[in-house]
Order: sequence, then structure tokens, then C-alpha cells
Amino acid sequence: MADVPMLEMKGITKRFPGVLANDNVDFDLYAGEVHTLLGENGAGKSTLMKVLYGLYQADEGEMRLNGEPVTITSPTSAIEHNIGMIHQHFMLVDTLTVAENVALGLHSSRGALTDLDAVSEKIVDLGSQYGLEIDPAATVWQLAVGQKQRVEIIKALYREAQLLILDEPTAVLTPQEVDQLFETLNQMTADGRGLIFISHKLHEVLALSDRITVLRQGRVTGYTTTEGATRASLASMMVGRDVKLAPDKPEVETGSAALEITGLRVIGDRGNVVIDGLDLDVRRGEILGIAGVSGNGQRELAETIAGLRDAEAGSISIAGTDVTNGRPVDVRAAGLAYVPEGRMKDGSIGLFTVAENLLLIDHNSKEFLDAGLLNFDAIRTHSQTLVDEFAVKTPSLDTPVRSLSGGNIQKLILARELSGTPNVLIASQPTRGVDIGAAEYIHKRLVAQRSEDTAILVISEDLDEIFGLSDRIAVMYEGRIMGIVDTSITREEIGLMMAGVTREEAAAG
Amino acid sequence: MSDFFTEAVLIATVAGGIRLAVPLLLAALGETFGQRSGVLNLGVDGIMLLGAFTGYYTVLKTGNVWYGLLAGIAIGIVLGLASSLISVTLQAEQGISGIGVYLFGLGMSDLLFQRLVGTPVPITKFPKIDIPGLSDIPWLGGMFFSHSVVVYLAFLSVPVAMFIINKTNFGMNIRAVGENPEAADSLGVSVSRVRYATVTIGGTLAGAAGAALAIDLGIFQQNLTNAQGFIAIALVYFGAWRPLGVMAGALLYGFVNSLVLQFKTLGIIPQSWSDIAAMAPAIITILALVIVARRFRAPSALTKPFTRGT
Amino acid sequence: MSRNAWIWLGVAAAALLVIIIVAVSGGDDETTETTVAAETTTTAEETTTTAGETTTTVEGETTTTAAETTTTAAAAEPIRIAIVAPSASNDLAFTQSIVDAVNVIEGEREVAEVAVTDGTFVVDDAAAAIRDYAASGFDLVIAHGSQYGGSLQEIAPDFPETTFAWGTAADTFGLSNVFAYEAASDEGGYVMGVLGAALTETGTIGIVGPVEVGDAKLYVDGYKAGAEANDSGVTVNINYTGSFSDVALASEAAQAHAAAGADIMTGTAQMVVGAVGVAADQGIPWFGTQANQTSLAPEIVVASQVYKWEIVLRQILDDMAAGTLGGSVYVIDLANEGLAIEYNDGFALSAEVKALGDQAIADIIAGAVEPTG
Repeated sequence: MADVPMLEMKGITKRFPGVLANDNVDFDLYAGEVHTLLGENGAGKSTLMKVLYGLYQADEGEMRLNGEPVTITSPTSAIEHNIGMIHQHFMLVDTLTVAENVALGLHSSRGALTDLDAVSEKIVDLGSQYGLEIDPAATVWQLAVGQKQRVEIIKALYREAQLLILDEPTAVLTPQEVDQLFETLNQMTADGRGLIFISHKLHEVLALSDRITVLRQGRVTGYTTTEGATRASLASMMVGRDVKLAPDKPEVETGSAALEITGLRVIGDRGNVVIDGLDLDVRRGEILGIAGVSGNGQRELAETIAGLRDAEAGSISIAGTDVTNGRPVDVRAAGLAYVPEGRMKDGSIGLFTVAENLLLIDHNSKEFLDAGLLNFDAIRTHSQTLVDEFAVKTPSLDTPVRSLSGGNIQKLILARELSGTPNVLIASQPTRGVDIGAAEYIHKRLVAQRSEDTAILVISEDLDEIFGLSDRIAVMYEGRIMGIVDTSITREEIGLMMAGVTREEAAAG
Repeated sequence: MSDFFTEAVLIATVAGGIRLAVPLLLAALGETFGQRSGVLNLGVDGIMLLGAFTGYYTVLKTGNVWYGLLAGIAIGIVLGLASSLISVTLQAEQGISGIGVYLFGLGMSDLLFQRLVGTPVPITKFPKIDIPGLSDIPWLGGMFFSHSVVVYLAFLSVPVAMFIINKTNFGMNIRAVGENPEAADSLGVSVSRVRYATVTIGGTLAGAAGAALAIDLGIFQQNLTNAQGFIAIALVYFGAWRPLGVMAGALLYGFVNSLVLQFKTLGIIPQSWSDIAAMAPAIITILALVIVARRFRAPSALTKPFTRGT
Repeated sequence: MSRNAWIWLGVAAAALLVIIIVAVSGGDDETTETTVAAETTTTAEETTTTAGETTTTVEGETTTTAAETTTTAAAAEPIRIAIVAPSASNDLAFTQSIVDAVNVIEGEREVAEVAVTDGTFVVDDAAAAIRDYAASGFDLVIAHGSQYGGSLQEIAPDFPETTFAWGTAADTFGLSNVFAYEAASDEGGYVMGVLGAALTETGTIGIVGPVEVGDAKLYVDGYKAGAEANDSGVTVNINYTGSFSDVALASEAAQAHAAAGADIMTGTAQMVVGAVGVAADQGIPWFGTQANQTSLAPEIVVASQVYKWEIVLRQILDDMAAGTLGGSVYVIDLANEGLAIEYNDGFALSAEVKALGDQAIADIIAGAVEPTG
């Protein structure tokens, strides 16, 4: 390591109205290393990086690049200082070609005219150098997610970025794509570049980084080199106490199949087939995890079971009742509980209060009706019980749900959905964007519900979650189940299946 | 109907359609630039009206049609900058602020006309240019190659607009800013500078369209454009934000109008139907718009102001 | 550039616009209180102006201020007249005809004030102006547009002391404070049709109309009848463009007529200025109506039918003086000299042809000819 760090950030403080997003944060980076910034949502990682990239100005603190004090006031000046950023949400123009996206904002060798041929040539060169092969003439919207990320990295390399910020770059990738990305990144550090890696996937952090800085509530709460760090030690630094990453699962005798799906075929929003001949059984007392890269029909599967989307062919039954193309209310009557992936969009009504949201599915039940009108006393009692039982942190029952944190909204939805005794529970991305503490609690509740003989279907992109919770794992790819496996399968095998390889081929390869 | 298939009538129909298309084409091309960069300017008609009056008044005073066209363009630039200020810097709701510009142009052009001119006085019109050789071709010559000079200028601006949008850095920036301003901003493309430029181009062409209309008619009157600026905005959607499509839309609108007029004149459309037939161009254009609009997508950032870092 | 700088730029631009507006409206300071009517009239009359009423035309409607402050008519003798009309006061057509007439009346009678709201092609704007004028104590409110009838029917009963005049129309809704007035414009049309048929060499005449209703339809039908009465072999092509205001369309309609062989043209409503331009380019003789259109194209205008609404205004004012605030329908026609054919001296019209026209006028006055019978 060189003596002078390529980046030093000292005492960075950034305030927003009512929030101290960064509080006296120190961070540094040497050429040739990966320094991870770890923390939960809202811990201040993104704010710090936006300060570095010129999207925000720090209120206090100083920045040095290679020992020289700098002020970075805009992305343009960040680029001039050879800083590149791979944003979590791709900063790509879908309707432009790869070459146009790369050329955007650069001076053209042909003056006012574009010089896309020259740019394309260099893209191909960079691609072969770093394993980032891509067709420069392809339009971005036609590309797969992994390819889009290559374009993002090429954009930074093209601008000769020496310091690269990678904001949750693996969030949307399959394990194979993650491996490929890491190879590229390792090559970049070998070339003397410095990388700042932002992630909350602990095993990836351990695999890639040299050093790790942990942020919590805007402050640096931990610092370690990767040697000697474990997932558990990192998690406790993030949360501030010891955390159980995988829930204890008691032995439960599995019963009959409570959810049976045969030959399901569903047409998606754009008229294409999104679920194609899918068969699946989930038995009482088991958690079946559905693994897969998002966009392979998982959302549509959950919606079709819940009666929110019509099946074109096939049948679905819950506890022996045929609910194919039933109305949501009928499906619920058959014993389905559903935690949808969009907790603000589909799972709750943001402007409604906590109590009102808890009532959403039960508002016709006799318990809460008094001569046809809502019985508010009964409702409040019921709501308070649920809020207490599920440890939902809310100022009051009358607080609008949208002002709660993601984890608490998710607990609220879970409380509502589990307040009956469901035969089947579908939990779609149950802990996405949720803090570790809440995720730990949600996992515990799901396992507890398994002991209550509920058949549970968990859909998740987070392989740690899938492995930690599931009794069996079904891998979904392009609307089909590539195979159902137990948790002894390796990540590599499951990654291949997520990319469309069958179980047999995966095991062989 | 046999009256219709005579040389004089067919030439007049086609030439008339082209003439009617010109102000729409110019204004819609300008609006295409703005919309491709994500700014909807509903004030086009107001800018056209002020361009029309300014052009008319300049020709009235100087007798020079080129000064008139330049004056229309100049007022278009001023109003284009003002529109940019409103929609880009002040980030006003684009569905409403443009109406303000329209009402300003409508009222201001009328007020200026009343104050400075009063009774309509005819002015010199644009010279008609017969393109040597081509204008002598039977039938086609009269239809396409014997027009006032602005007609040629307007149609020449179509390939120019295509070239700018598709082949230049500026054009690439326009497309990027209209589709994903955050991405463009993250690469150092100034979103507001691009939008200022495109909205001002829109104003410039709207001013030119108004001046072309007034100087081609040789007269000004209150509300001279008769809402052509709004039709131009519809034509941008019709043309799927592409100059060639916009040209096709303007020509379709012009031709249907011209055809209906010709049919009325010859009694092919009975007089009792003429009021209904007057709606045909609008209806046909709307139908075509509905069919086309299903196949193309508007720029994603259209009507959305941009603020960094959200 | 910082955000503040942009905002200052905005303020500067707004200030610039204000300056432009002030510069324009302040161009003649001493007459800012002149009514639009008085200022823009083209009649040779002395334009006496009455202070107290500032009428500014912005955005197609008129804001009237300080109207209440000048009820100088306490002695009840001089009256206050208001006009609400759809197009511009100087349109050389429909609206100008009523404004000119009121200016004539101003020279004859004790008129305290004349206010004009023009350009109200939006009926709701017109209705608001009509109600404002009635509420501010005008004695006579003229709603000059057949499309204003519905509004008048609602407003008039609320102001029983105010006289309303509605034209062109033939219905007073049975209200005792509404007069209706119309022009027998088919009569002048007939006379000019006779002249047109005598002048055509191709045997084809083109007429550009707005929408087939009211005054426009009367004129067009009269012209066609006159032309065919003079020469049954003549072809009269009629093109209603569908718009009172689309100048470009009227221009193309004239092009269409020319392509169809017309060598004589006429047209009615304010958008015909576009058609006159085409006729002038092609040297095609033109007949005007509603106002004298000679100034638009001195070489080719043969004659114009001119409306002298002062004839009906005199009748209405006489009724009002006698205490009758409405209930009658008055018509201007050739017999009462409310309609006049004004020839363009610059157009060489042969004596024989002119004699045909004079004969037609005499026949109509005598009742020997029904223009649209």
C-alpha cells in the first residue's frame, strides 16, 4: 500500500432538516484496495458517497485526493478528479445505445458531431481487457441486468476513473454474475484502482474487501480489516448488539400439501407468458423458498395465487379448496395470508393509520361490526394487541403508516396477515430493505408460523435468507421451476439454476 | 367528382395542403426539440401569435419580408427563453404554465395590433419561387415546386432537425436528458442548459411559424393562428417525437383540410354537410394519433422538472 | 450559475415584459382613457371621448374598471351605451359595423359614455361583460352576436331597468327589455350577385362563408339568388370553411375557388381578409359585405354592402325615450337605408353593369323581387 491514501475524508458532517445524515465521519481509501462501507439502510452510506461524488456538499469536514485538499461540487468535477460511481439504480438512458451512453457528456473527436465509431472501438477494447464484453450498438433497454451493469462499469473506466464507488452493485445479479463482477473488480484493483464497495450482503463483503468501515445512524461505529471479521461480528457492528443471522428452526413434522399448483400458465402485463406450466406443492409445517433473479415470474406467481391476477391455464388450490381465478376475498377465505413485495404499494395504505391498516382485511368480520357500523373500541383493542405482540414501533395507533420505517411497516403487515390462522402464507421479499433487527424478528415469526402448521412460501432474491429459512428450495427461471432442492445444495449450483440450467446439468457442471 | 380530377384542382389541392402544413410543421418541429428533452411547452400558440404580429408589423413598416421573418424569430427567441425560465428554472407545472404563455401571446398580439395598426392593412407577401426546371414538370411542378420561399425553408428544416437530433452530441444530450436526466447529470451533461436550448429552439421555430403564417397570408387579425400551435403540439405526439413523423402529421392535417375545402367548393360535399366536414381534419388526426400513440412511448422525463440529488 | 442568479434573471425578464406592456399601452398617454371604439373607428366623424371608462383588451376579453365612478347621467338625459362583440372593433366586418354605428349615434344624441368589449369569441367572457355593464348602470347594452342569445336570456330579467339589444337575431324571448335587430343582408347580397353575374367571364363565382347560419347564410343565399337571377347559366360555388376566425383556411378556400375556375369572389365574416388577399394576388374582382372592404384591396374590390345599424339604434333610442325598453325586432334593409351598396371608385365598373345593380335595388325596395324567395 502506498503511504498517501488516494482518498481521505475527514470529519464529514452532512445535515438535512431534522436529520444528521453524516456525523463527523472519517473514511479513507488506498490505491489497489477495496474498502467496504457497511451499514443498514439510512445509516448514511449513500449520503457520504454522494458527498464524495459531488451530488451533495458537506456542511463540515474536508476531503483530500492523493494528499491534496479538494472540493467537489458536481459530478462533472468528480469525473475530472477521476472518480467514478456505479449507482445502485443504473444511471443509463434506456433508449440510447451502449456507445451513446458511454459517450454522453464527453468531448467528441469530431467536434459537434458524435464519434460513436471511435467510442465503440474503445468499448470493445476495454471489454476484452476486463471481461466486460458488450455490443456497443445494442440499445440499453434490450440488455439484461448484468449487461447493464457492465455498461456502467465501462462508463467509469472509459472516463479513466481511478477511484470507483460501487453502490450495492450485486443487488440484482445472480451468483455467477457476482463472481464475474468480482473478477473484474479484482483486476481493477490489481491495476492500481481503489474501490469503495457498498453492500449489506455480508458474505460478499467478506469475499471482496480488504478493509471494512461500519456506519450506524450517520456515525462510524466499527472498523476492521477483513481478516478476522466474521458475518456475525459484522452484523453486530451494524446493529449494535449480537444478532442471530439464521433463525433456530425446530423440527416440525410436515403434513399434507396445503398449497397445490398444477400446470399454471399466466400472461404478464406486456402480453408475454410469464409463468409457463408451473407445478408446485407446499406442505403444512414447511417453508418452501423460491430463489431466482427478480423478473422471472415470482411476483406474478404470488399475485396469481392471491387472486390479483388471472391464470390462463392450470389450477391452484388452498387446503383442498379450488381457488383458481377466485376473487381475493375468496382466496383469503380459503386461508391465504399474503405479504406482498411492495409494502407501500400493495401491502398497506400509506395515508391510513396503523389501526386502519390492521383492519384492512377484517373490516367485514362480525367482531368489528356493530349493526353494520365499525366498532371502534373493539378495533382499537385488537390493534393494540397486534402492535404489542409484533413489536411494531409506532408513536400511536393513529399514526399514518407511511411515516413508519420499512421494518415496522413490514411487521405491521405481518401482524395483520397472521392475525387469523392461515393455511398458507406467501411472504414476498419479506426483509428487502428492512434493517437487520427487524429482519431477524420477521424470520423468527415466519419460523414460529411454520410450527403452527402453516404452509409457507417465501419468495426472495436474498440467497442468505432462502438458505436460512427454507426446508426446500425451488429455483425459478423464466416462469418455470428449474428444480426443487434441499438446503445442502451449493451456492454455485443454485446460481447456475437461477441462470436457467437444470438441476442435473448444474450438479454435473 | 369528375370536376376534382382536373389539373388545376389537383394541383391546388396538393399545393394547398402543403401551404397549410407549413406553420404547423415549423412549430411542431420546434416543439419536438423541447419534448425530446422532457419539456412540454403548451405556449406554442401564444409565441406563434406574437411572432405573427411582429413579423406582420415589421413588414408593414419596412416592406421587407425577410426583416419580418427575422423579427418573428427574434421574438420567438425571447419568448422561448422566457418559457425556459418558467419551466426549467422556476420548475412551474408544465401543463399550466404554457397556457399562461399562450394567453399572454393571444392578448398581447391583439393589444399591439389594436394599438399600433388598428384596421387590417395588407402587406407584401413572401416571393413565390418556381424552381427552375422542376416547376415546369406537368402536374408535379405546380404541386411541389412552385411555392413561396418559406415552404422550401420549412421542409428543409426537417432533415436538419433529424441530423441534429440523431447525429450530434447536442442531439444525443437532448435524447438523454428527456429520457433519464439523472443519468445525463451524473455524466456532467447540464440538464438545464440542454433544456434551455431546446425550449428556445422551440420558441424560435414557433416565432418563425407565426411570422411565416402572417407574411404568407399578407394580413394580421386577432387570433390569426386559430389554435394551430395546439395542433402542432398534438402533431408532435402524432409524429412519435420524430421529425419525419411530425412532417407526416403536418402534411396529413394540411391535405385533409385542403381536400375538404376542395370538395366543398366543388359541391362533392353537400353544403348542408359542410359544418360537419370542417371537423374532419381534427377527427382524422386524432384517430391517427390514437393509433400511432399506442405504438410509441413518450420521452420518460416529459413534463418532469429535474432537481439534482433526490 | 447559482440558483439565485437564475431567479434574478427571471425577475429581470418579468420586469422587461412589464415595461413592454407599459410602453405599449402608454404610447399615447393623453388618450389612455379613450374607449377602443372611439379610437379605432374609421369613419370621418370627430371622435369625442368620454372619460371614466378604461377599456383594455387583454387575452381576448376586456376588463372594465372605474365604471361606477362616473354615473354622470344623474340628470337622466345623456345615456350610456355598451357594446359586447365577438371580433375586433376594426375587423372591417361584423364587429366594426356596430362600433361605427354607435359612433354615428354619439354625434347625433346626448351620449354620456360608450364602452366596448370586443374580441369575446368565448361566450362566457361575453356573458360576464354583458352582466358587468348592466350592473354598472349602462342604459343600453348591445350584445352583438347571435351566439350571445342564451346568455342574454338569463341576464336580462335580472336588470329590468336596462335595455338590451341583441343582434343579429329575430327573437326577443318575449322579454320587455330586449330588442332584437338584424340585417336583411340577402338584399345587398342579391344586388351584388346581379353585378357579379354580369362581370364573370368564366361563368363561375366563388363564395367563402364561415358557418351556415344567421347573417352569413342570408348574405350567401342572397348573392347566389341574385347571380342566378341575372344569368341562370352561372355556377356559384359556396364554401363554408366552418370557422369565423381561421384566416388561413379562408385563404385556401379562395385558392380552391380559383382552381375551380371562379373569376368573381365574395365572402362574409371577419376571416375573409385571407380570401381577399388571394383574390388580390390573382386579380379576381371581390365583393365585400358588413363593412367597406376597399382598403384591403383597392384594385379588386368592386363594391361593399355596408351596414348602417344607426338606423335600428335610432329606433331603439326613440323607444327608450318613450319609455319602452324592449320587445321589438328591427331590421335594416335597402328600403330604410340601413343597408347601402358602396362602390369602389377605383374599380372601373361599366355604367351598364352598375345600372343593373341600381335596377335590382329599385326592384327590391319596390317589392318586385324577393331576394331569397
